[in-house]
Amino acid sequence: MRLSAHYNKASIVISVSVLLISGIVYYLIINHIARQQLDADLSEEVAEVIDYVNQNHHLPRQVDFDEDITTFVKTNVSSFATRFFDTPYNSPREKKAEAGRAVSALIKVNGQPYLVTIVESRENTEYLIQIISAITLALTAVLLCIMVVTNRFVLNGLWKPFYHILQQVKRFNVADTAKIDTVASSVDEFKDLSDAVAKMSSRVTTEYQGLKTFTENASHEMMTPLAVITSKLDMLIQDEKLSPDQFAQITDIYSAAGRLSRLNQSLLLLVKIDNNLLNDTEKLNLKTIILDKAQQFNEMVHNKNITLDYQLVDLEISASRYLVDVLINNLFSNAIRHNKNDGRIEIRLTGNLMCFQNTGDSAPLDQNAIFERFYKGRLSDGTGLGLAIMKNICTLYNFDISYRFNQGMHCFLVKFS
Amino acid sequence: MKLLLIEDEQSLRETIEKYFTEEGSICETCSDRKTAIQKIAVYNYDCILLDIGLPDGDGFSILDYLKSTGRNECVLIISARNSLDDKIKGLNLGADDYITKPFHLAELKARLIAIFRRKSFDSNNTLIYNEIAIDLLGRTVTVNDKIMVLTRKEYDMLLYFIANKGKVVSKNAIAEHLWGDDMDMLDSFDFIYTHIKNLRKKLVELSGKDFFATIYGVGYKFA
Repeated sequence: MRLSAHYNKASIVISVSVLLISGIVYYLIINHIARQQLDADLSEEVAEVIDYVNQNHHLPRQVDFDEDITTFVKTNVSSFATRFFDTPYNSPREKKAEAGRAVSALIKVNGQPYLVTIVESRENTEYLIQIISAITLALTAVLLCIMVVTNRFVLNGLWKPFYHILQQVKRFNVADTAKIDTVASSVDEFKDLSDAVAKMSSRVTTEYQGLKTFTENASHEMMTPLAVITSKLDMLIQDEKLSPDQFAQITDIYSAAGRLSRLNQSLLLLVKIDNNLLNDTEKLNLKTIILDKAQQFNEMVHNKNITLDYQLVDLEISASRYLVDVLINNLFSNAIRHNKNDGRIEIRLTGNLMCFQNTGDSAPLDQNAIFERFYKGRLSDGTGLGLAIMKNICTLYNFDISYRFNQGMHCFLVKFS
Repeated sequence: MKLLLIEDEQSLRETIEKYFTEEGSICETCSDRKTAIQKIAVYNYDCILLDIGLPDGDGFSILDYLKSTGRNECVLIISARNSLDDKIKGLNLGADDYITKPFHLAELKARLIAIFRRKSFDSNNTLIYNEIAIDLLGRTVTVNDKIMVLTRKEYDMLLYFIANKGKVVSKNAIAEHLWGDDMDMLDSFDFIYTHIKNLRKKLVELSGKDFFATIYGVGYKFA
């Protein structure tokens, strides 16, 4: 539930209950005041009756009391406490029962006690209370409407900067150099939030860029010492007085230096892909590239006596030629390197799918780990970066790369968007 | 061939100088941009080996200088950066080739000789080494006036070995030359063996001479 809905719910519950309670209290108070007013009127009338009796020494006639109904009953009671009570009031004109208020009191006319009862209609006060209730209800309804509308429009408007910030945070990508823009808002909290998010994202981006620059520089700096090692070795083998054993050691140093150099180049390539530095996108025909690569790998395929089987359709993609070259290259060299003698490689290119399948180890690879950097199979002697590079190339172009193990075949599937 | 090597890394400079100094070749060296420009201003060179990352400013300015003074030296750029932009920039400024560190000396020499040949033998496209004659344009090889049919890789290898004649060339260097370093195939040494065996056989058949010497599993020497 959104914040505004929570807020709406709380404010409606609170205001409705406050209004209801205050309505009841209001009703009770007005009722009480009206009743006191009526009782005061009735007391006054009783006093008038007593005055009249004192002056005229007989009971007043009915007509002397305008709308009120007055009855005199002879009684023997010598003392009676004046009491007020609710009773139906039978309007003489409208011939129907209404709510009324009555007073009973004891008066003495020429020594004879009479119980006088005066009933007054409560119609007017009832009417007043109804009007007041109606106004209260109407006010409540209007207030509720206003609150809902306010919440919906004003509050949502107020929260807009927040949602804008949220959207940007969701879209945030460290590798992306696009900055999170600050939001102009009159709300201090949102301004603070926006500033904080912008600062945090730029700090994260800067640190990430710094890390990448570091990787790049470190890799570049290693190239010169590597060049020294390689060239010194090249010089060293010119000395034909060296023993076979020394030559064997030199061969090992050569291959270690070669591996280090390839590792470095792979790291650099990863940094370049991450930084999107190879943005020479062009339209490429995958079929042509695969056939070219097959030609290049021909010797290796024949050497292991591998059967190569293609089903290729013309498929055009937009990407950097260099990166697609690396991608196909890695797919091919993995399919050959991890293959067995007299094995098979099947390459399919259909619709928007490219599939490289090869025979090899009879156990499937760990699907979750193979695309991690420096993950290596048991028998692999590569850099451990080949698949990570492929994954990064695919991510860069929104291609989907996945691995499947199907009937003894290791299958790498690339789905083009 | 007169060569100028501009490289700030001392041990690399010494090694390259030693490898390139031989009969008929002189290799001069310097380690910064200032000395390099002084030398270029005074002397003529056939080829210049230029490291792009110099302590006193990048090597591109030396290319600018060469271009502005209308010089025609072959320039081979050495760079620690395998960057396409740098490569394009260098080639646009008049460099003839670009090699990335780390490299094998044999590769460096083969590249340098290739660009030198391209520039200096405009009229005569035939390369002669003893009884072997190579038509560089037609990519045909004759030995004792008999045509020798070679595959593309064998032809590349022959040129590579002639450029590095008299030197021991490691199998790693040959593999990198033939397949490039992104080809990272460990069993490529077997292929080198096969290719060399075939080339050797063809040469022996036509010339009656074995040009190749095997050096203890580390490499080969062509002489």
